[in-house]
Amino acid sequence: MLDLLKKYRTPLLSGILILIALLFYSANLRSQEKTTIFERTVLQLTAPLQNGISFAWNSVSGWWHGYFWLVDTQRNNARLLDENRHLQAELSRLQEVALANERLRRLLQFKEEINLPVLPAQVIAEDASSWFRTVVIDKGLADGLREGLPVVVAEGAAGRVISCASRHSRVLLVTDASSAVAALVQRNRTRGIIRGQGDNLVFEYALRQADIEVGDQLVSSGTGGVFPKGVPIGRITRITREEYGLFQTVEVAPAVDFSRLEEVLILLKDPPQ
Amino acid sequence: MTRIFLYFLCGFIFVLAQTALIPQILPFALKPDLLLILIVYLGLNEKYVRGGALAYTLGMFEDVFAGHYLGLYGLSLLLTFLVVRGVAGRLNTESPFLLLLMVGGGTLLQGGVLFFSLGFFAEAGPLAAVFSWTLAPQVLLNLAAALLILQLLPRLQKILAPRTEIPGLRCLHKTNAS
Repeated sequence: MLDLLKKYRTPLLSGILILIALLFYSANLRSQEKTTIFERTVLQLTAPLQNGISFAWNSVSGWWHGYFWLVDTQRNNARLLDENRHLQAELSRLQEVALANERLRRLLQFKEEINLPVLPAQVIAEDASSWFRTVVIDKGLADGLREGLPVVVAEGAAGRVISCASRHSRVLLVTDASSAVAALVQRNRTRGIIRGQGDNLVFEYALRQADIEVGDQLVSSGTGGVFPKGVPIGRITRITREEYGLFQTVEVAPAVDFSRLEEVLILLKDPPQ
Repeated sequence: MTRIFLYFLCGFIFVLAQTALIPQILPFALKPDLLLILIVYLGLNEKYVRGGALAYTLGMFEDVFAGHYLGLYGLSLLLTFLVVRGVAGRLNTESPFLLLLMVGGGTLLQGGVLFFSLGFFAEAGPLAAVFSWTLAPQVLLNLAAALLILQLLPRLQKILAPRTEIPGLRCLHKTNAS
């Protein structure tokens, strides 16, 4: 028996390692909503370095672009882009308010629905792999954050907090394949689920006969338990209606430019201490 | 002991580069998986148990910064290491081209393991759409990164530790010296 164990020592040990890894992975799937001590410690240790790299890079590239390269053009462009972003967000918000009025909803109640305390945060790092879409932000448990809080930017929904360390957190972006947001078409209130597809989104479970058009704006329906009602998510870019089937395939371009995500707002359900 | 520390240091630097530096430089969402290249290198030059434990630990480290399934990268990098280690015994591990070949194969294997693990164990959404358009460019990116590392490493070693040799890359060292 001992000889047999000695002879097959390597494959046995490899098998045990694989089994442990598989068991650990599958056990963690059940407690996915909580941040483990291991994750918290690693995040806490590495985040200051990531912050440093991000700061150093921004300083160098800022100096290069701002002073050396195009002094005035860059400044004007940044100002106009910023203005454009704010106007777009304002327009979207006004459209939502107008539609809510049409359906005889009280403006005050609607404002209360979206009027949550917010906390600004800086994106300091991105996902380590190409398969997933997450970012690290510089706010954590000490700032009142916890898992599950919605994260937005001026243009719309960005994601939700999935793990928190004391001063840093990770955010799962809406474009990640495992992300799902309850949404509706702003124009005619058709309901469905928006899922991530890497860089784009897909609007699922929209009935085949539902009147959906390219260009329609999609907003959060408020029923998913993460985002409040009316947060813009994206615009429909393509609709495919098969000859048979219950639903139509709807492709959506996200409202947020995730390749240039720098500052985000976390919607706090309770005010920070 | 020093070697294990060096592997961890490399892994740490690679993860920092993947999360904080490379996304700022590259104009697209894809990024090379430097940790996978390190694991392939481990597979070609380390023993089963030591290398397996290292691969799993580094994978767990990557898990904190990639996706939100703790243990997924631990499992995928461990399997990648074991497969590379399994075939390495029959090949000339001193060849840098083998490292490139294994990085290409390792990326495909890792993609397969991730797809299988997410598809069968987790509720991970439309994976096929993500993997179908990401896998081929990811292989190319990893190969380009491995090639760059192969070019830079002997030069760096000459500056930082001129009297030592990197196992598996002695051939490059000699080429550079001549």
